[in-house]
Amino acid sequence: MNETSFSMSPILTFFLNTGVPFETIKLILMLPIIATFIAFLRQVVGIKAFGIYTPLLITFAFLATNGIKYGIAIFIIIILIGMLMRIALKSFRLLYLPRVAIMLTIVALFILIMLAFSGSLKRTGLASVSIFPILIMITLVEKFIAVQIEKGDRAAIFLASETLVISILGFYLASWEALIHFIIFYPWIILLTIPLNIVLGKWTGLRLNEYLRFGEIIKKS
Amino acid sequence: MFEFIKKSRGILGMNSRNLEYIRPYNRACAKKLADNKLLSKKILKKNDIAVPALIAQIKTLEDLDIFDWQSLPDSFVLKPNRGFGGEGIVVIYGRKKNRSDAWIKADGSIVTIDDLKNHTRNILDGSYSLSGIPDIAFFEERLKLLKLFKPYAFKGIPDIRIIVFNKMPIMAMLRLPTKESRGKANLAQGAIGVGIDLASGVTTTAVLGKQKIIEYIPGTRLLLSGIRIPYWMDILTLAVRSQEISNLGFLGVDIAIDKERGPVILELNARPGLAIQVANLDGLKGRLKKAVGIKIKTLKKGIRVGMDLFGGEIEEELEEISGKKVIGTVEKVKLIGKDGKEIEVEAKIDTGADWSSIDNELAKKIGFTETIEEFEKLKMPYEKLKNLDKEKRWEIYKNIPDIASTIPVKSSNGYTYRPMINVEFIMDSIIVSTKITVIDRSHMQYSMIIGKVNLKKFLIDISK
Repeated sequence: MNETSFSMSPILTFFLNTGVPFETIKLILMLPIIATFIAFLRQVVGIKAFGIYTPLLITFAFLATNGIKYGIAIFIIIILIGMLMRIALKSFRLLYLPRVAIMLTIVALFILIMLAFSGSLKRTGLASVSIFPILIMITLVEKFIAVQIEKGDRAAIFLASETLVISILGFYLASWEALIHFIIFYPWIILLTIPLNIVLGKWTGLRLNEYLRFGEIIKKS
Repeated sequence: MFEFIKKSRGILGMNSRNLEYIRPYNRACAKKLADNKLLSKKILKKNDIAVPALIAQIKTLEDLDIFDWQSLPDSFVLKPNRGFGGEGIVVIYGRKKNRSDAWIKADGSIVTIDDLKNHTRNILDGSYSLSGIPDIAFFEERLKLLKLFKPYAFKGIPDIRIIVFNKMPIMAMLRLPTKESRGKANLAQGAIGVGIDLASGVTTTAVLGKQKIIEYIPGTRLLLSGIRIPYWMDILTLAVRSQEISNLGFLGVDIAIDKERGPVILELNARPGLAIQVANLDGLKGRLKKAVGIKIKTLKKGIRVGMDLFGGEIEEELEEISGKKVIGTVEKVKLIGKDGKEIEVEAKIDTGADWSSIDNELAKKIGFTETIEEFEKLKMPYEKLKNLDKEKRWEIYKNIPDIASTIPVKSSNGYTYRPMINVEFIMDSIIVSTKITVIDRSHMQYSMIIGKVNLKKFLIDISK
């Protein structure tokens, strides 16, 4: 990808000239768009996920890992370990924070093993993933356990899958060339997300999934 | 598609619930009251509302250290103060025999003091509270299951959720714990929700979990519709009263019925769920919109208006639901007598009479001529008969053909004993097989009256 080939807004040229990396500008401009996208999915479609913060972070972790497949793999491993460890730790009856700490330890160890393993297989793609996106994803464990305790396994897995779906969609949205070109050329359009969110915030219609959920009532009336 | 969206307008969705009902009608301080079970319990009790009795509370780890576990009764419930969705609740049914440090849970498993301590510690830690903030654990009286609900509820206690808005009951549902919900009356966990007709307190349609419409308790032939909730008026009164006290404009009240104490308030809910709509197969929003403009001055009026507006419209459905036929005060009846002799007559429905009766001539027409003539021939005076006991009296009449029994009947010239015969009759396509009194109704408008014993399968509509 050759950055200079973009047609660019003068403000951005100014930023670049002061030494802010292009990638940083791009991600920061993308943030309000992804956030609005998640808000839209919640209010209009009805996809709940783990709030707004987690899917947003995971999306950016995906963007920062080398290719989305490693991101998804790490995500799924974290959730699987979360589930297995819950069963394993059940009989110990531990308090909340120590339990999360143990899970974090196991997840961290596992990822370390995975990195070493993929390195030895000369699959450098995974081994060269920078550590911050991995750390961000590990914090997913806490979210997952909290929901597990409050609402049970099924709800936790359901919300985790929703989070994964949103993050994948968010990833493709943020990697969409046309959109990137557009915000690079018109960076101020991110301000449009504010009125858009005001509309979303006042939206009182049924969510798409509620049409499904209440289908029987609609059929009957 | 357009039709579909139009039809869905009466349904309350999450967005609308939060923005149009919870936000404007439930003030922050009122919400705080609802989220704090101990506080709402205290305030309700102060206002003479029945709540489960508080046994003890543990506020800190120090409290936990010095807590005397032996002081707990044989059965109790351990709850987190700020818990929600029924999480973190432990129900103890009784002490384990021969052990001083263990109790038995709803599912029969054993709980030791150490288990309870650990659970309490988790509660104090905030594992079950709304936002993970440190919490208080408390013990309260375990309510006892009403006999009526026994076959319907798995382990736990069913409760009744009522949505109250503008001092009116808006919608109600009975929640039945199932095996899947592990004895908890929470739909999200797989309990059964059964809609209730507000006017009559009789159950209508049912949903299992969040979406599955059912008619019977899974795996049984227990019909979920037509259950008459006892203390219905008291329950509605409690619900509306608790709105007055709590100041929650849009309120979900959970009420359980204790075997001995009757209805008690379990919980106030500032963010009632939407599943009640599926249980009732009706939208909340349509009802809330109707309720919003009405000025309600008194509690009684609020209940009255709520019952009239949102209940009882289901008269034709009532037959299906209750399994009872709705009949008028005069009904066509096909009478089937001896040897299958049939005759159609108009009968008067008389809830003042215990037994049904027919005129002498009618009885003769359906084949009981001999019975009546033999009976009249004996000419036994009432004074003599009344002093005899049952066996002796039967001794006199038992040789009369086709007589079923005798019965004292009051008429204008005093008491007489009259014969009873076995007949069948068909009313509104229901076959009733019964003993019936034969009397002289020649001077009456209707040659047959139907009394209480034969009306159990019917509801009477005097305007019909």
